[in-house]
Amino acid sequence: MGAAVDIARGETLIGKRVPKMDAPEKASGRTRYIHDINLPGQLHAKILRAGVVHARIVSIDTSAAKALPGVHAVITAADVPWQRPIGVAKDHLPLKTDRVRSPRDEIAAVAADSAEIAEAALRLIKVTYDPLPVVTSAEDALRPGAPLLHGEELTWTAPDGRREVLHAPSPDNVAMTFNYAQGDVARGEAESDTVVEDVFWLHYVTHCCMGVSGVIAEFDADDNLRLYSNTQVPFLHKREFAELLGIDPGRIRVIQPPIGGGFGSKLDIYPFEPIAIFLAKITQRPVKLIFTREEEFLASPTRQPVLLKLRSGCKRDGTLTFRTVDTLHDNGAYTSWGATTPFVMMQTISSLYRVPHCQYRTRAVYTNNPYAGSFRGYGNLQATFAVEAHMDKLAEAVGMDPVTFRLRNAQEPGEITPQGMHFKSCGFKQCLETAALRSDFRRKHNEYRAKWHDSNPLKRGVGMASMLHVGGGAKIYPSDGCGTILKIDDFAHLTLITGASEIGQGSETVLAQLVCEELGLPLSAVTVVNNDTDITPWDVGVHASRTTFVAGNSAIGAARKAKAKILAAAAAKLELPVERLGLRAGCVVETGSGNRFIEIGKLIRSLHFSDKAELVMTTHYYEPPSQHQDREFKGDVSAAYAWATQVAEVEVDTMTGIVRLLRITGAHDVGRVLNRLGIEGQIEGGIVMGQGYATTENLIVENGVVRNPSFRDYKLVTAPEIPAIDISFIETMDGEGPQGAKGVGEAPAICVAAAVANAIYNATGVRLYALPFTPENVYRALKGQAQPPVWRVAS
Amino acid sequence: MSATVDIRFRLNGVDTEVTVPAGMSTLEMLRERLDLTGTKYACGEGECGACTISVDGVTVNSCLMFAADCDGRELLTIEGLVASPVGEVLRASFARNGAVQCGFCTPGIMMQAQHVLRKHKGCERADLQRAIEGNLCRCTGYVKIIDSIAEACVTADTEQGA
Amino acid sequence: MSGISNYVAPRSLDEAAELLRAGNVTLLAGGTDLMPQSRNGRTQLRPTLMSIRRVAELRGISEAAGNVRIGALTTISELRDSVLVRERLQALWQACDRFASDQIRNAATIGGNICNASPAGDTLVPLLVLDAQVELASKSNGTLATRAVPIADFLLGPGQTARAATEILSGIVLALPPRHFISSFFKFGTRPALDISLISVGLAARRAGNALHDVRVAFGAVAPRPIRAPAAEAALEGKALDDGVIAVAAAAAEAEIHPISDVRASDWYRREMVRNMFTRVLAHVRDR
Ligand SMILES: Cc1cc2nc3c(=O)[nH]c(=O)nc-3n(C[C@H](O)[C@H](O)[C@H](O)COP(=O)(O)OP(=O)(O)OC[C@H]3O[C@@H](n4cnc5c(N)ncnc54)[C@H](O)[C@@H]3O)c2cc1C
Repeated sequence: MGAAVDIARGETLIGKRVPKMDAPEKASGRTRYIHDINLPGQLHAKILRAGVVHARIVSIDTSAAKALPGVHAVITAADVPWQRPIGVAKDHLPLKTDRVRSPRDEIAAVAADSAEIAEAALRLIKVTYDPLPVVTSAEDALRPGAPLLHGEELTWTAPDGRREVLHAPSPDNVAMTFNYAQGDVARGEAESDTVVEDVFWLHYVTHCCMGVSGVIAEFDADDNLRLYSNTQVPFLHKREFAELLGIDPGRIRVIQPPIGGGFGSKLDIYPFEPIAIFLAKITQRPVKLIFTREEEFLASPTRQPVLLKLRSGCKRDGTLTFRTVDTLHDNGAYTSWGATTPFVMMQTISSLYRVPHCQYRTRAVYTNNPYAGSFRGYGNLQATFAVEAHMDKLAEAVGMDPVTFRLRNAQEPGEITPQGMHFKSCGFKQCLETAALRSDFRRKHNEYRAKWHDSNPLKRGVGMASMLHVGGGAKIYPSDGCGTILKIDDFAHLTLITGASEIGQGSETVLAQLVCEELGLPLSAVTVVNNDTDITPWDVGVHASRTTFVAGNSAIGAARKAKAKILAAAAAKLELPVERLGLRAGCVVETGSGNRFIEIGKLIRSLHFSDKAELVMTTHYYEPPSQHQDREFKGDVSAAYAWATQVAEVEVDTMTGIVRLLRITGAHDVGRVLNRLGIEGQIEGGIVMGQGYATTENLIVENGVVRNPSFRDYKLVTAPEIPAIDISFIETMDGEGPQGAKGVGEAPAICVAAAVANAIYNATGVRLYALPFTPENVYRALKGQAQPPVWRVAS
Repeated sequence: MSATVDIRFRLNGVDTEVTVPAGMSTLEMLRERLDLTGTKYACGEGECGACTISVDGVTVNSCLMFAADCDGRELLTIEGLVASPVGEVLRASFARNGAVQCGFCTPGIMMQAQHVLRKHKGCERADLQRAIEGNLCRCTGYVKIIDSIAEACVTADTEQGA
Repeated sequence: MSGISNYVAPRSLDEAAELLRAGNVTLLAGGTDLMPQSRNGRTQLRPTLMSIRRVAELRGISEAAGNVRIGALTTISELRDSVLVRERLQALWQACDRFASDQIRNAATIGGNICNASPAGDTLVPLLVLDAQVELASKSNGTLATRAVPIADFLLGPGQTARAATEILSGIVLALPPRHFISSFFKFGTRPALDISLISVGLAARRAGNALHDVRVAFGAVAPRPIRAPAAEAALEGKALDDGVIAVAAAAAEAEIHPISDVRASDWYRREMVRNMFTRVLAHVRDR
């Protein structure tokens, strides 16, 4: 545990263990999450879900529900004819009109005096359905003659009768496709000495934020909407909500209470938010809607499940030659961000290692299953799982050890990949070497392998996997910017108003640190405001591990302007050249000697109370120097890239199939450590999330129905199960990063499953191609009873 | 319709009287009747520990306890805990060691941690891991939570010794 | 929603039994089964909810005349903290150690675990191999009377017991095992606790040298109720444990179980685990 930083002596905060600013409040139970907020006059809302998988809605009778005392409104699609579709492809009406495509589908909603009354009212709503044939897998959805999920166009009729087609029909159930190519895979294959091909299945998991989803919507007398929402993208959603309601976005204010976990789950609009808004509009009362945990399992997004076929090759000397990837994304009933994960997957395929020839193809296909959103890692866990399995297989085939084989193909600083990514800083080789060394990988890998056939039923294994992920934002929109407003009051208290939301990851603290570093102020002098679109400047949202990088640079920019202003004022007042002045420990000091001239607060007071009063108030907008990729997905999408290698050491009980994670040794190129406590926490949390993905979590979907919507049967990792964790930071000091740092939020979760799969192979000689590695799945595989995934996809 | 029950108990050191529906859970009573929102709902079936409170000196999931059953008992919630010396030790340790990320599970884990300190059967890491096996955390990976409780154990020890 | 119209908390067994006799009562102990079951509709609460928490006679673990008596209200934590249980009733202790989580162990009672009669109820398997009797108290003819029923006869099926509606389970009685008596419980799960038994294995026997006598074997979560496995017991009785005997016993056990497939595991896997884990438990005893 590091010693406390003595800011009074002007020590730097960078790289120190800085406690999160909001921790005391949270640990006291005083932080008001959305669930804890109650507005005067508020009503409680509940949603009636279909429960049936695929059907026509024949009739809905809400009369009994409406008659229940305490019920203020019961709405169905018929009550909101002006509703517009939501989601990434605008194929999803919040309240379903004539058809349900998933058991989670929203049929009706109630606003009542209490949640209990709303619940009771739901039970009084009578809906009759006419069942339709169910499409339960992406393969089935592609078969000729398969029932069509969105075979008709989705239109919208404006109040003036004008009709608009908002979603074109999908005649083949294909929701989205992504194709990417570099080089010539046929040539690559011809040049190969070894070729491997496998099919992988990556399963459903879900975010399981400890705070369930919720929203409070309220209209004022002028019909302005105030929304208390845990969205990760307040500014973009403001616009979407406005479109949805047909009002000017300026009339919408999004207030973000502290969030009980995000991990990507709040990156899209899901029906419950519009529904709460509809109810608030109709009742003219604040409406609060909070999920139950069961609802959270059924109706919040999942990670994108993927069936993936990978063919790769290398030369005898271990040089990679080509990769061909075909994936099928089960899109579920509607399109959310999950469908767009290929965007990230192809980066790993094309650019984690140097591969001259690549071809990548994805189809996201409509089914009656749950639909996937974005989830920490955004497709990268899936892609890395397949790529890293093949790295081990190819290494074995050419008789190289996994580390040497990877080092031979690893990216280096300065590389511009065929996809156009420019690795200005790149610590990949150090990551590989450090993780291998600290885990004693080579020795263990040989030793464990030699014990495949001895009599001990407990086997050990080590496995390694690496990852590449955006670390300097991701220009998925034409803008990837973030604004900052900074003001310093006459007691030298600084208010940092940033567009970037805090979702528990500690961005607030890191931003404050960066600003303090510029201005020589203690953290206690900073208040961060980041939760109100009427106050905060524009930002594209918390995603793509971008906040530290993008919001950090923005905050630094604002702080530097403030510094210039303070120093100029000090220079004038002290009649000294500005070059001789600096800021440290709350004072204007002489650079070099550190002699104190004047306290910043005092200086600012003198500015405020002078005859030409001036405020230290600055703004800065930072737009990273990255590119919006072209139509062929080429371009330098991020201003920096993060790298990591993780080694998993496991114990496999061959009599039960239980895989115990003993140790994860991780080496992460993070650019630079800004807050050691915070970054360790991010990495540890990410590793354990990856552990869950690999070994315990499994959202079981059968015939469109989620079978285990509770923590009882959907198992998050608990405290006794965590592995020992050894983390090394590779500090490559990225030239564009704030103080040299790169984003790290998603990275730690990405490699774990891939590394565990390789470790299981090293322990047992059995390779698993399908997640998760639950005891029964592993046991079946060990007994030769598993059905490996197969590619039965109509082309 | 469900009957109501008049109950009386000590809540964070204060005598409290409430009338509750017989089917209400203690969690609902705390949050909805008594405005003590530090105790969290996250699953409602005893699987996550976010609603952990202490009743007559032992921790329980308040979502599994009928409010009526609080009658005559002594309850401690996070709000009461942080007003006590042990609570202060824990809060400082949790903050200093980075145990808090989104913070939603934190009050429940603080409550469980005070129980660990009270029972105090040694502060081996493995014991601490087991002691919080009923508390789910999705952010931290538990490492820093365990660090925090371990450090608080030591602090509590030295303070007791002093 | 609950249909409760009355909440009572008697202070004596007599009073509790009297209230039960009046009928339409749901009995509440720790509530860790009752609360979730009443919320998800699996249990319909009756008009009177009777908390037995204040009935002092239902508490405590005592030892007298070679018998151990465990009050029905004894919590799983109290059992886990008991030196007597840890040292003399190892199988029961192991079950309590692997039971739910600390918070639930602090609330959950052994009486509730028995009356809930889940096929996966963790204390039931050790109680079966320890030949426990349950004590039922009632005032069916005006005076408080108790009867004792062997646990194996008490458990009838999922959620079904031989308890009459007017009876209250007051305690568990079992003979204090003799010296050289071993008992062991194995719960299959991926983590120490907070896991519903996928399968569980209980074994108890008197050990003489390498041979086992008075063998009792029980399995949890492989039949509608936790079961004794008489064929496996016979295969082990009086024999010195070696690989051959163990294999025969494991094969015998397989014929006695009827596992199902559900979201947690397939019947095939449950069978495999019974064989493998029973084998492992026996090997462990042999090597000890
Ligand atoms: C998250 C979670 C995890 C769990 N994990 C486990 C586990 O690992 N292993 C396991 O075995 N169980 C587990 N359980 C189930 C439960 O905790 C146990 O069955 C517990 O022992 C029930 O005891 P209780 O005192 O809470 O019973 P209650 O819920 O109060 O009662 C259960 C039933 O028994 C009846 N009853 C209770 N006491 C008496 C009595 N003295 N006489 C007559 N009838 C009575 C009640 O009317 C009710 O029908 C778990 C439960 C939860 C919520």
